[in-house]
Amino acid sequence: MKIFRRDSLSLLATYLALTLGAIVVVYPFFFAVNNSLKPGREILHAPSSLPSEITLDGYTGVFDELNVLLLFKNSLILGISITFLNTLLSALAGYAFAKIPFPGRGRIFGFMLLTMMIPSVLFLIPTYVFIYRIGWVGHYEALIIPSAISVFNIFLVRQFMLGIPDELVEAARIDGAGEITIFLRMILPLARPALATVAILTFMGSWNDFFGPLLYLNRPDRWTLQLGLLQFKGTVPGENSEQIWALTTMIIVPIVVVYFFIQEQFVKAFANVSLSK
Amino acid sequence: MATSAVVNSPPAAPTAPTTLLQRMRRSAWGYVFVSPWVILYLIFGLYPLVLSFYLTFFNYSFVTPETRTFVGIDNWVRGATDSLYWKSLYNIVLNQVVFITLKNGLGLVIATLLFRIKRGGRIFRTIYFLPVITSTVVLMTIADTMASPGGPVQSVLMNAGVLSEPSFWKSDNTLPMIVIALINTWKWFGISMVVLLAGMYGIDPRLYEAAAVDGARGWQMFRYITLPLLRPQLFFLLVVDVINGLQMFTEVFAIGFNVYGGINHQALTPVLYLYAQAFDRSNVGYASTLGLLLAVLIAVLTAIQFKFVRTEAD
Repeated sequence: MKIFRRDSLSLLATYLALTLGAIVVVYPFFFAVNNSLKPGREILHAPSSLPSEITLDGYTGVFDELNVLLLFKNSLILGISITFLNTLLSALAGYAFAKIPFPGRGRIFGFMLLTMMIPSVLFLIPTYVFIYRIGWVGHYEALIIPSAISVFNIFLVRQFMLGIPDELVEAARIDGAGEITIFLRMILPLARPALATVAILTFMGSWNDFFGPLLYLNRPDRWTLQLGLLQFKGTVPGENSEQIWALTTMIIVPIVVVYFFIQEQFVKAFANVSLSK
Repeated sequence: MATSAVVNSPPAAPTAPTTLLQRMRRSAWGYVFVSPWVILYLIFGLYPLVLSFYLTFFNYSFVTPETRTFVGIDNWVRGATDSLYWKSLYNIVLNQVVFITLKNGLGLVIATLLFRIKRGGRIFRTIYFLPVITSTVVLMTIADTMASPGGPVQSVLMNAGVLSEPSFWKSDNTLPMIVIALINTWKWFGISMVVLLAGMYGIDPRLYEAAAVDGARGWQMFRYITLPLLRPQLFFLLVVDVINGLQMFTEVFAIGFNVYGGINHQALTPVLYLYAQAFDRSNVGYASTLGLLLAVLIAVLTAIQFKFVRTEAD
């Protein structure tokens, strides 16, 4: 009985610690939403207290100051096109590297993996020089086209496809199916978990990216949400801070809603990455 | 043709036997499938790599590229002796030592707690992972206000007697990189948690049963079974942390430091500095050199990690 008591006590302590941790993790999100509903003056004087009156001034105000819908649209254009292209190219190349034997396949793949170890900071300046020269600075192509490829995503897809039995593909070939048919009808559905991982990681990376848009899209009509928030924060004097909190909340809410709907996949996507090493 | 081919080979062969023509046709499809990727890779992967080396030997400006002049290894000498660049390296190393320790330590503690419970694990995991999916700019905007004098964090610390007066930490010499490390710990520990938890579930439960028979208890189980068997996951986290962490930019910029990392460069990071050189000073060749120097440093550190782990495993 004594042992039983100690166990349930320690279990209780575990739950208490986890709950405390959860409160600490969530509080900043609550802090942002709370401030977005306050009159501006209260944010500066009492940032942590509940609003004395709930107002939507921040939300209406920010739409007057900033073209929020345009920011959303720009972020979506980038996110969707980068995710689509990257996932498609990763699936195609991943399939070829896993299931279509062709001369030089091993060497090309090995070389690719080698370059995966090169830190991206090395590409920063030369890529900018190149994109500047071809006149893409200020245009979406500057972000979309280079982001369409990712060695890591191909690696992930290939690892997954190696697990699909060769006999399945061979049987389809013997039945006379062409490579495109096999790819579309068989490989794409079978590789859905891997492709979902790639798509989630790519979309999140693009949606949350700040550095890329800062470098290439520094023009108000091309701003993304991330860029818009930071530029807005830099230009707005203190008394409009409720607008900053309103914008902050509007950026958080969509991705959090999506996250709670498919949170298992989100978490799995990140666990997959480490396990596929 | 296909029928005779099938008869000629065991069915379990990894690839079905085919005629030369069929094999060539299939290879052609292989090339077609990888070609969009390879073409883009040559243009946006290999070409910049070559250009990066090339640029380091020139004075080059975006605004007036026609004034490009060959300067030999001047940029390399300048980079190696640039006290601001060394300052930025010191800053980021300090930041990463704090960040990597806390983030993986906290991730390990949380994963251990989650591994113990049978109910409610999913809801905790969902909550703890929330900062990971939130954008850095948003989190830094929130953290900026929360950590400011008069903000909730400092109020709590003052009530607890840890702080005697409000801290203007942003103008301090070492505090900015430490505070940013703390904020980043909050943002990223969810990754360590998920990766380590997945690792814990992968450990054979019979090992724990055998250890229990031998009289091992909680801490000993953790020290002699869990921790050694999590080495691949911890190593993965460490390598990724070093590669990503040394390239920090957005955090510092979004929390309100300029591209020089503040008045005393107290929050200057290497990428911030090369950004300032390229886009504020228009020293593109020099910025390219700084990028290459940082990449070499990261590569060396990664190689050391691999070597270290390999010798330890022997």
